[in-house]
Amino acid sequence: MSSPSDRNATVESVTEVGEPIVREIHVRAAPETVFEFFTDPGKVTRWLATEATLDPRPGGVCHQDHAREDGSGGSYHMRGEFLEVSPPERVVFTWGFTDPDVGVPPGSSVVDVTLTPDGGGTRLRLEHRDLPVATIESHADGWTGMLVRLATAVMTTPGD
Amino acid sequence: MQSVLDAVVEPRRREILRLVHKAELPAGAIAARFVDVSRPAISQHLRVLRDAGLLVERREGTRRLYRTRPEGLGELRSFVDEFWDTRLEALRQEAEQEQRSRDHEQSERPERNGGKRDRGG
Repeated sequence: MSSPSDRNATVESVTEVGEPIVREIHVRAAPETVFEFFTDPGKVTRWLATEATLDPRPGGVCHQDHAREDGSGGSYHMRGEFLEVSPPERVVFTWGFTDPDVGVPPGSSVVDVTLTPDGGGTRLRLEHRDLPVATIESHADGWTGMLVRLATAVMTTPGD
Repeated sequence: MQSVLDAVVEPRRREILRLVHKAELPAGAIAARFVDVSRPAISQHLRVLRDAGLLVERREGTRRLYRTRPEGLGELRSFVDEFWDTRLEALRQEAEQEQRSRDHEQSERPERNGGKRDRGG
């Protein structure tokens, strides 16, 4: 039999916040064009959301509904807030969902997008940081939070 | 990938993954951690996790030992990344299409938008 303290040791191996997710792509379009795809509801709904209410200024709402991909026809409700809006270079907003099953509550994580002119087009860098991974005993057990927690547990455990 | 999601959506299975993340444990020792779950139910959880590629099973005599399979968890991380990969690819296509239609509009109206636009300089 293992001692009960082993269980605590496992829990403590998980860190507070996961490594940021960073993505970079090149787009054959001007930064001004790309920028609007983050701030104009008519354009956000062309690639990310099914519905969007956006007030692109610091403190303004950044609300997006995303389709659930489980065949239910339902939505996930992203309820964020713009933190920085500097066209056409940078847009930063909080990222979280009112749906507890997602496991990323409103205000808990941040999406930071920078656009740089690059060879007639745009280099887009997206950093998604502060994804919550802290509360292993949390009730917010949605798959997204869980995936990140698991991945973080593995990446931050010495000796793997 | 769906099997991985199915596997981790059940809280007990996540608890099992945490238990055997650092140390390989026999099925009996894993079951002993769950006083409120039947042994057959634990066996079923272990099978789901193994089939999803999240656990490695090893036999030692009559005992079965389990340990987290780190590559399986790496796939989980990839799944989170994939959200943005998929969405950003869609963004790229839409933004490039938008740019083309803007450029097209400009070239169709050279007198208004092209050529000698006085920028006040």
